[in-house]
Amino acid sequence: MLHIKCPYCGMRSQNEFAYGGDASVTRPELNKEILDSEWDSFVYLRKSLKGKHLELWHHISGCRQWFKVQRDTSTHEIFKTLKPGESI
Amino acid sequence: MMSISALQNVHEKGLFGDHENKNDDSLIKVSECKNLVIFQIVQYKNSSILIKDINIDGLNLKDEALSISCNNDTRVLWCGPKNWLLVSSKKELLKSIYTSFKDSDFAITDLSHSRAIIELEGDNSKEILKKGCPFNFNELKKNNCVNSVFNGITITIDMIEDNPNKIRLFALRSFGESLHHSVTDACLEFGYKAL
Repeated sequence: MLHIKCPYCGMRSQNEFAYGGDASVTRPELNKEILDSEWDSFVYLRKSLKGKHLELWHHISGCRQWFKVQRDTSTHEIFKTLKPGESI
Repeated sequence: MMSISALQNVHEKGLFGDHENKNDDSLIKVSECKNLVIFQIVQYKNSSILIKDINIDGLNLKDEALSISCNNDTRVLWCGPKNWLLVSSKKELLKSIYTSFKDSDFAITDLSHSRAIIELEGDNSKEILKKGCPFNFNELKKNNCVNSVFNGITITIDMIEDNPNKIRLFALRSFGESLHHSVTDACLEFGYKAL
C-alpha cells in the first residue's frame, strides 16, 4: 500500500487516488500541423521506465485534484509530489 | 412538502449487535440526518474575489485542508481548493446563498436531495470508521472534515464533537443504503442504538 502526499490535502492512502498516466507527455501545440506519427506517439506510445518516473495522479476520493508524483517504478518510493503547474 | 429520506427503507430504530448488559451511554448511536440544506460552492479558477470577503450566515470560507467554519446551524466544509460544502438546518439560507455568491464567480449547486447522511455518536465512532477507511483518524479533531472512502464508497466525514465523538458521514444518495449497511455492520461488535 502506497501513501501519497496530496499537495492539497496531505498524506493519504493510495485507495483514495487513481493513476492518471505519464506526466512527461506533452500535447502537440493546438492548430499546429503535425504528422500522423507525432499524433500516434502522443496518444499511444509510452516508455516503460525502470526508475524515477513522473506520473499524474488524481485524488479522486479526496479533493478531486490532479497532481504530479515523482515515483521510482521499481521500489515505489515517492520522492516528490507537485501541483500541475509546478515543475521539478 | 416533506422530502423522502434516503435511508427510509433500511434504517430501523432499536438496539442491535452486542448491546446486552450495556447501558445506553456506552452504545454507539446511529441516526439519519434529514431535512438539511446542502450546497456545493465552487469558485471559478479565473475568479478574483477574495474568499475572506465572503460572509454567509456570519461565517467566512476557509481555504485550508480539513477546516470547517461553523455556528450552531451552519457548517461550511472544505472539500478541495476553491470547493466547499455548506450544510445547514436553516432553510431560509437559500436566498442569501444566491445573493452572496455571484454567478460570474461561483458555481452553486443544491445537493440537498442528493446526499444520504448518517450520524454516529459515541466513544467508539472512530473505531467504526477505522474498519473501512484508510484515513488516520487520530489526526481528526473537532470541527475537522475529510473526504475519503469507506469500503469503497466515497464519503465526506464531518467531525462535529469530540467528547463524546459525534461524526456525520455524507455519501451520494445512491450509495446511502450500502453505506448504512457497511456502517451498521461495523457497529455490531460494539452494539448500537439506531435512533
